[in-house]
Amino acid sequence: MLSSDIETAKPRVLVGGVGYRFLRDGSLGPWLTDRLEGRAEDGVEVEDLSYHAVGLSQNLQERPPYDRLVLFGAVRRGREPGTVAAYRWDGELPERDEIQEHVAEAVTGTISLDTLLIVCGALGGLPEDVRVVEVEPADEGWGEGFSPVIDAKLAELEERVWSFARQ
Amino acid sequence: MCFKNLPVEFDEHGNASLKQGAANPWAYETKELAPIESPEGEEKLHKLLARNGHIRRVDFDPVTRVAGALAFHTVVDLENRQVLETDSMATLFRGYEVILKGRDPRDAIFISSRACGVCGGVHSTASALALEMAFGISPPPMGIVARNLLLSLEYLYDHPLHLFLLAGPDYSEPAVRNTNPELWESAQTARAANKAVHGFDTIAEIMTEMTPLTGKLYAEALHMTRVAREAYVVIGGKYPHPQTIVPGGISATIDFSDLNEINLRINKFFDYGQKVVGIWDDLTEFFYEANPQYRDIGTRPKNLIEPGQWDDPFAYDGTFENADAWGRARWSPPGVIVDGELVTTSLHQLNMGVEEFVEHSFYEDWTNGNGNGDGQRFKTDPAGNPLSPYHPWNKETIPKPTGTNWKEKYSWSTAPRWDRLAMETGPYSRLWASALAEEYKHGRFIEPTGSSLKLSVPRGALPAAELEWKIPDTWGAFERNRGRAYSILYTTMIAYDNLLLGLDLMRKGETAVSTPYEVPQDHRIGVGFWGAGRGYLTHHLEMDKGVIENYQIVTPSTWMASPKDPWGQPGPYEEAVLATPLLENYEKPEDFKGIDVLRAIRSFDPCMPCTTHIHTGDGRVISRDVVTCACGVDEEHEHS
Repeated sequence: MLSSDIETAKPRVLVGGVGYRFLRDGSLGPWLTDRLEGRAEDGVEVEDLSYHAVGLSQNLQERPPYDRLVLFGAVRRGREPGTVAAYRWDGELPERDEIQEHVAEAVTGTISLDTLLIVCGALGGLPEDVRVVEVEPADEGWGEGFSPVIDAKLAELEERVWSFARQ
Repeated sequence: MCFKNLPVEFDEHGNASLKQGAANPWAYETKELAPIESPEGEEKLHKLLARNGHIRRVDFDPVTRVAGALAFHTVVDLENRQVLETDSMATLFRGYEVILKGRDPRDAIFISSRACGVCGGVHSTASALALEMAFGISPPPMGIVARNLLLSLEYLYDHPLHLFLLAGPDYSEPAVRNTNPELWESAQTARAANKAVHGFDTIAEIMTEMTPLTGKLYAEALHMTRVAREAYVVIGGKYPHPQTIVPGGISATIDFSDLNEINLRINKFFDYGQKVVGIWDDLTEFFYEANPQYRDIGTRPKNLIEPGQWDDPFAYDGTFENADAWGRARWSPPGVIVDGELVTTSLHQLNMGVEEFVEHSFYEDWTNGNGNGDGQRFKTDPAGNPLSPYHPWNKETIPKPTGTNWKEKYSWSTAPRWDRLAMETGPYSRLWASALAEEYKHGRFIEPTGSSLKLSVPRGALPAAELEWKIPDTWGAFERNRGRAYSILYTTMIAYDNLLLGLDLMRKGETAVSTPYEVPQDHRIGVGFWGAGRGYLTHHLEMDKGVIENYQIVTPSTWMASPKDPWGQPGPYEEAVLATPLLENYEKPEDFKGIDVLRAIRSFDPCMPCTTHIHTGDGRVISRDVVTCACGVDEEHEHS
């Protein structure tokens, strides 16, 4: 590699949504992934990460390392529906028993953003820089389309994710 | 005569008919339950508590996730170390039967797959089998070989996962030290008989390496699940919901390179399978020697049901009429075992004996409660055998959510019964039915002896070996886990046999993997007899005018998480926990951790993701996992 290449090398960024399809607001992750795929560009990969987190950890460890991972999805934490949180993950892991519970959930088919962070954090594969954009869902019932409160936030959520990707 | 309780008799040619003379032959008397913990039993409970402060309610109360949940309620006597009462609750409604009504039958392959986040592929295949019967088609030999490989690769993911990530932690150093420190002490000097295979000197070393996250055996199991998945997607394309399973075979082409890719990965299980058998043989024998009562953890009658799986590519024709013949030709033949005796290997008889009851489930009885079959869809199957109004082909799913009441309704699982008996199923039912098979057709690597199953394992890094799974004298949690360990090798040998068959077909140019078909527009029925990692799986289909009229899925966990039946007989989980002695080391009730109960439940590999909290009655909550897969459900139900 030439020194000029090093100077201009762009960071490798993976942008990925997490969630289930056809669960209304709970489908934000895969839905937004589909939208962002059209915006993927040199250095920024967009991928649906809605699969079991042990598999993701194994996949990430086999790939050339990323400089940043940007995750997004709907996460129920009891906040006002539509509340958006965008943050850099601190990498803090829970007690061992709780990690094991998340591993068990992951290998038995549970897909969740928290499980992904904990399992990949414990088993490996995450870059130093992990950013998260999450929103409090209003409706996670069966079906397509978002609740009005989340629908009104879609553009903001997309830009928050993309701004993390392009930083 | 395989039935003792159903109103069915057989003539000298073995043809079944309904017993004559009874006005309502299928009707039954319902026994009223009298649980300790019911509104009426509250006084009884208080009296027990007053008399004995060691009587405790121990609830395994789930925090449900999206796909499904199991909860378990018990009353235990901590002084006498007995379980007094058990109730198994599937707390979520699985609505796939409702969702599938009115749809194009081909949708069933892809929608029913979503019933499980771990074993979706088996649902897809069970759907494809049901459709093949209804459409009147069957795959070419290579299509069947491909399906057999896919099934094997699902199990090679599933069994290591259960043995080391889900059940395994209960036998790891932290769990044993915490619940039975005296066992941990003796484990440190107990020599491991199978060191030559697995490399560990003592039982304590094995327990240490089973420790979640840090143990080598835990990490190796995680790795092997990946190996199995890598092989799966060569043909399946993706997982958990493969897109290449279609009626009449598969939609992906296969070449030598694909088979070689799979072969490389199957070969890794020759050694791994031997190692896992060595580990679980050593662990089991250590516990039995330390305390023979460990044989009784999770014990219940030897009543097992196995529909058979892995079709013979030259025998399977997809018809119901010939199901007895092609069923018996499977690598894992069908079998119903009652009190340890094989009572039938006929798929017709197996199918005929199945009924589902809802007295203690959140559903309405679709027969109007009279059981006389008025208006039932099918009085007989396509071969003329009588069918109960409670048979899946006659069943209608009518949800009726109510509050939980141990005396009335408390589960979203139905109570499936065969000949009105509670049955369990699992990888060990495959071993058991194979061991007892009289005319086993696939003896290249597997040899049934009538009391055992000999498995010839080719050389890997370890030397070639013959391992023997023996039908156990006593049946309980440890034997379920041991059976699952042997099932890794059993599955590997079936996969390898099919791989060799696939290579042979390819050399002969028989590479077709699917059969063309058209969706019939007239009235048809079909059933897919197949298996999941945890055992029995059937899909019963009725279609007309090109759409699904009725669709009924019976999963392994429907059998095993079953609530009590109309006669008050407990389901397998309930029965097994009720018989479990409490052997953990505790002095005060607040020290009780419930490890023996959890070992009993987990040995079944319950198919519902849930986190279980054990309420010990003093406000303390111990959070533990009971889960294994997601053959579950899709709507949350509140307990009242």
